Amino acid sequence: MTEIRFYGEGLAGFDRKKPLPGRLIVVEGTDGVGRSTQIALLREWVESKGYAVQATGLKRSALAGVGIKQAMQGHTLGNITANLFYATDMVDRLEKVIIPALRAGFVVLTDRYVYSIIARALVRGVDPTWIRSIFGFALVPDAVFYLQADLPHLIPRVLGARGFDYWESGMDFVAQHDYFDAFVEYQSSLLAQFEAMAKEYVFRSIDATASIRDVFRTLKGEMKEVLSDMKPISPKKAEKELADVKAVDRVAVPGRKHEK
Amino acid sequence: MAHLADGRSLPGKLFIVEGIDGSGKSTQLDLLRKWLVGEGYLVAFSEWNSSPLVKSTTKLGKKELMLTPSSFSLIHAADLADRTERQILPALKAGAIVLADRYIYTAFGRDVARGVSPSWVRKVYDFAVRPTVALYFRVPLEESLRRILDGRPQLKYYEAGMDLRLSHDPYESFALFQRRILDEYEKMVDEFGLTVIDATLPLVEQQEIVREIVTPHLPGALQAEPSAWREVLAGESVYGRYLGEVLPEREA
Repeated sequence: MTEIRFYGEGLAGFDRKKPLPGRLIVVEGTDGVGRSTQIALLREWVESKGYAVQATGLKRSALAGVGIKQAMQGHTLGNITANLFYATDMVDRLEKVIIPALRAGFVVLTDRYVYSIIARALVRGVDPTWIRSIFGFALVPDAVFYLQADLPHLIPRVLGARGFDYWESGMDFVAQHDYFDAFVEYQSSLLAQFEAMAKEYVFRSIDATASIRDVFRTLKGEMKEVLSDMKPISPKKAEKELADVKAVDRVAVPGRKHEK
Repeated sequence: MAHLADGRSLPGKLFIVEGIDGSGKSTQLDLLRKWLVGEGYLVAFSEWNSSPLVKSTTKLGKKELMLTPSSFSLIHAADLADRTERQILPALKAGAIVLADRYIYTAFGRDVARGVSPSWVRKVYDFAVRPTVALYFRVPLEESLRRILDGRPQLKYYEAGMDLRLSHDPYESFALFQRRILDEYEKMVDEFGLTVIDATLPLVEQQEIVREIVTPHLPGALQAEPSAWREVLAGESVYGRYLGEVLPEREA
């Protein structure tokens, strides 16, 4: 990373002296905006330029990924619990996937980051100070690409892809009885929340109403800029570095330095 | 009364017990629960790390040694959040007595002993209801260690604080870890106004003190059974002798 910064107090046991030569790139945006498509394209392109890429995204942690998905299936997940579950997922991926990869010189591409979690919490009326202070452990990324599209563009995409989902429609709290109305109300407030966050968190907004090709071209241009001061590292070398980083982490001693 | 973090009060009463392993707090809470039930109160009981929704994730993390100080902290917070949203808060809103074996102070003690920032972990638990009474069972480290370790039990990895790498010997690691937690508890007595109970006193004496402390808070607490149906039963010449077998006092 060009500069190691956290949104708050940082991560317990994080060694600030060791450099993170990789880059942390976030792709954000609401449901159906085309994040996964663009990340898949971007990943291939960045790899073709000779960089090693680590892809990750919400609910993919080894620790809490399955647990969250199971809890969501039962529709029994309360508001505060959901946020802390997401935070557990986030911190596990940060410590076990993102930071080791950054240490080893990977370009880390993450499908959503703390912003999505904060936005979904805020529209559900969670205390803004509380939710922000929890994510004080999160690294400030090198770039946040915010894929922006309005509701009239989003609805056909969601319909064409997989239809409306219970959580994506905010059915857990929106006072609407059918999925369509709920989706419209929920996603509108999410969009408003993202707009409000764009400045605070310095999003690079990208018009995602354009064609897939045009969006990708814009992203590629932005990406070139982010990677301009970074030398490619071959995937083979990066994998070896990563194995070394993980070996060191296994014997790391959290807390020991406090002991006499 | 119990209070929400923003100061609003709830009609129910939240009594919680804290202390290091081997302080005898669970025994005292169990005695208190039986007494309160006997007095006719509706008592909800909540144990640390027991949310059906979150437990399996914590178990996985512990079994596979995946937990770091931060994820250990957050998953336990998620556990209390689930119990708060689904069990503790509804019971307190209904005016009932809630008993909790370990509470936020356990997290503050253990997580800070693991190197997590004290201010961060306190902020994380902002959602938690402030207890009516927080009983802290104070016991000298040597005494608690004797109680726990005399049988040379198999200590679990995180339980022994092995993740802190204080010692290769689980028993020594456990002792060093408990020392740190004890220090944190002592700091919290003033910070949170914990009510200290001398856990070296005989069991019966401790229980008398505990009952004396909670008694002033009991008037108005929700009663378990609006006596009506017991009276109806009595009219039918049955006394509910076997009800205990079908209605477990305490949920598993």
